[in-house]
Amino acid sequence: MIASTAPFSRSPDRLISLLLLPVGLIALGPMLRLLGEGFGVGSELTLGHAAEVLGRASTLTALQHSLFTAGTGTLLSIVIGSAFAFVVALTDIRAKAALVFCLMIPMMIPPQITALAWMQATGPSSVLLKTLGLAPPLGSPQPLYSAWGISLLLGIQHASIIFLTLRAGLRMIPGDLVEAARISGARGWRVWAQIVLPLSLPSLAAGAAMTFVTALGNFGIPAMLGIPARYSTLPTLIYQRLVGMGQTVLAEVAVLALLIGVVAIAGVLAGRLFLQRRAYGLVGLASQPLSLSLGRKRPLVEFILWGFIFFTLVVPLLALVSTSLIPAYGVPLTLDTATFKAWVEVLFNQPVTRRAYANSLLLASAAALILMAVCIPLAWLMQRRATQLTRVIDALVDLPYALPGVVLAIACILAFMRLPFGITLYGTLTIILLAYLSRFLVVMLRPVQAAIGQLDPAMEEAAASSGARLGRRLFDIVLPLSAPAAAAGAILVFLTAVNELTVSALLWTGGTETLGVVIFNLEDSGDTVMASALATSIVAVVIALMAIVQLSASRLPKGTVPWQG
Amino acid sequence: MAGLTFSNVSKLYAGTPALDGIDAEIAKGEFVALLGPSGCGKTTLLRLTAGFEMPDRGRVTLGGRVLADGTVFVPPEDRNVGIVFQSYALWPHKCVAGNVSYPLEVRGIAASERKRRVAEALELTGLSSFADRAPAQLSGGQRQRVALARCLVADPQAVLLDEPLANLDLALRGAMQEAFAAFHRRTGATMVYVTHDQTEALALADRVAVMESGRIRQFAAPETLYDQPQDCFVAGFVGDGAVVKVDRAGTPVDGEVVVHALGQEIVARGHGMTPTHICIRPEQVRVDSDGSIIARVTSCTYQGGRFRVSLEAAGETLITHVPIRAKIGEELRLSLQYPWAFCDPVGTTAIPGQAHA
Repeated sequence: MIASTAPFSRSPDRLISLLLLPVGLIALGPMLRLLGEGFGVGSELTLGHAAEVLGRASTLTALQHSLFTAGTGTLLSIVIGSAFAFVVALTDIRAKAALVFCLMIPMMIPPQITALAWMQATGPSSVLLKTLGLAPPLGSPQPLYSAWGISLLLGIQHASIIFLTLRAGLRMIPGDLVEAARISGARGWRVWAQIVLPLSLPSLAAGAAMTFVTALGNFGIPAMLGIPARYSTLPTLIYQRLVGMGQTVLAEVAVLALLIGVVAIAGVLAGRLFLQRRAYGLVGLASQPLSLSLGRKRPLVEFILWGFIFFTLVVPLLALVSTSLIPAYGVPLTLDTATFKAWVEVLFNQPVTRRAYANSLLLASAAALILMAVCIPLAWLMQRRATQLTRVIDALVDLPYALPGVVLAIACILAFMRLPFGITLYGTLTIILLAYLSRFLVVMLRPVQAAIGQLDPAMEEAAASSGARLGRRLFDIVLPLSAPAAAAGAILVFLTAVNELTVSALLWTGGTETLGVVIFNLEDSGDTVMASALATSIVAVVIALMAIVQLSASRLPKGTVPWQG
Repeated sequence: MAGLTFSNVSKLYAGTPALDGIDAEIAKGEFVALLGPSGCGKTTLLRLTAGFEMPDRGRVTLGGRVLADGTVFVPPEDRNVGIVFQSYALWPHKCVAGNVSYPLEVRGIAASERKRRVAEALELTGLSSFADRAPAQLSGGQRQRVALARCLVADPQAVLLDEPLANLDLALRGAMQEAFAAFHRRTGATMVYVTHDQTEALALADRVAVMESGRIRQFAAPETLYDQPQDCFVAGFVGDGAVVKVDRAGTPVDGEVVVHALGQEIVARGHGMTPTHICIRPEQVRVDSDGSIIARVTSCTYQGGRFRVSLEAAGETLITHVPIRAKIGEELRLSLQYPWAFCDPVGTTAIPGQAHA
């Protein structure tokens, strides 16, 4: 007789619930620590310090700059993203999958590489323009070193966020609403303007709020374009203060980080408010609401969309490749001068770049593997043993990812700088890893949740009836069935972590550089050719990984690949 | 008796009872069906037996061993109970043989022994040639049999089946019913079968427990349920026919009782207490030119070889079968042949919609 004697105890269940503790601590601990710092917890509870930092002219200017660039960038993203979303979702253009894939690439490429590539495609020293004989005269200014330059690149970088949310929204519109309009006599464009557009406004608003928050937290683009132009936004102000003054200004940058956090949350809340007032309860079977036939205009529309991809993606990347192939900055690119010297240098010779590659790959793989190991039991727990606590954690794990990266970086410095027993993690790879775990938890968790949510609970019950205990069921049944989604999630985490600059820019020290940091530093010290070579190699890795995810998309559960709907 | 017993088992969901004082004994080797409308608690009772739910009150035992009571709860892993799910719950990442051998792997049975028993189970379910197939490559009936083989391979003390035929088409259902019956004869396993389809329950089971609102209304052999229903619910839910309230009645003597209903004195079968209702099956209503009941035809449907006729008599609806089509509105004279008279424990129980055979 094997009856367990404890009354109604399912001890493995309780054991697995212990998982919530480290998840809660790492995902949310730093954020709480930051909040405490802002209000002067630890010294004396006061708002005086915060008021002093907030009152400074430099803070106000940076805030204005942040709002301006993020705001105009978002508007541009709305124009680009919604144009693509409407055309792809509602018309009969060809090669949609390829178009969507290309539109996604800017979001997946690190922002500092985007900035570097665009800088190589414009201005008087562009190798590509010089080779083609199109370069502006020497001495003319680099047009991107300006507020509008920052807005432009933010707008292009984040257009895909609008695209994805709007397309998802368009797919939720019940087909019979459109059919009812057509029976009433409305056709084509009229249906779009009077039925589809109003119904898709809520998802457009949600996408706009998300884009604004992402643009607000972007560090790579304003750092590459704004610092040379002495145009600082909140993230670059924090970076410059911390790099210039060191840990003495921690309390001050904590207030600045909180300020970004508050603006970001205000943006999200504004989006929510709009949504609440405009939310329609859509009832009915969703399908492609409208299938507009473009007729003879179709080649023209396709030409415009692909032309846009050409100028915003292909040209900058070509410029980047061109620059990486010259022997020294200033030498024109010809068949004779072209060389792989910079490539050999960054990939095989330079200790810093090799170390950065090793660090970034190590951090990204470690983050992906740890999160995969944590998220399968965690998602199972949230799905099958939901409690008040798991629901709270489920809602809050979005925070470290949704809030700007600088906020998390400052939070991590504060949380892990002085641990008990005189331990400090500051200046180690561990602090960057912890920050990554906190930030990317949700990137891994959501696909795994989607997969486990689709599993028939009877499969696990059948295993339990077969005599398999919880651990064995997780390993034999849940793991194999959620593995494809977990693998896709791991690749996404890996991609995002390799691209990451904002968090590591504030957390790195000599020896713990990441790829994002090294590109930034190489360009900063004038090694544009090497920066371009390194950047091009990263873009190649990113596109290859994206292609793997894309090719395996048909074997994954729905909702796993973010750019597949 | 080394069967499955429930004593006073109750289960609450958010304050409302899903099971309310279930008492039942199922003998070893017996084939029992739990029959009832959706929401009656039959699936809850099954899941409670498997160990996926805990009773709030009462005791469940299997083969003399307590599975659940106030202090003991044996988790499903340790119950040695097999279950076939409505969705079959085959693991898509394992082949047929992999699915069937899993319970043995978990029990740590040696590979050679495992191979022999898997082959045996596949043989028994007629799946030997499908051992290496993936579940996705099988038809509905084949999946059903894989699920059955998987739950039998470990030689469970009880086999639970949760609406196993609900997802199959009509032709396949008949074949699978025969397969289940043959299977039960060969293995002699204790089987509990949940269904809302009375044809299935009456055809397969040794005994049927008719459930409603979390209670067992009657637990008896199929023919007893049909001929001698205990209350209005069972009378209306099982089989075709009419349930009619009696105006007054005598006391049953030697299995017979005279009741007054439909404005007539009627001789009925009955035991025990003074009856409150009579259950009139179609075959107990005879069209008879000397009959004392005058009824008007309200509907007539063809059922293959005979017509099912609804008639209105003294404000009540009666059902009978006739060989030739009756005209709507036509008047017929009827006589009743020993309907069953019973005393409904709750006079006010709603009679469910007349089930159609």
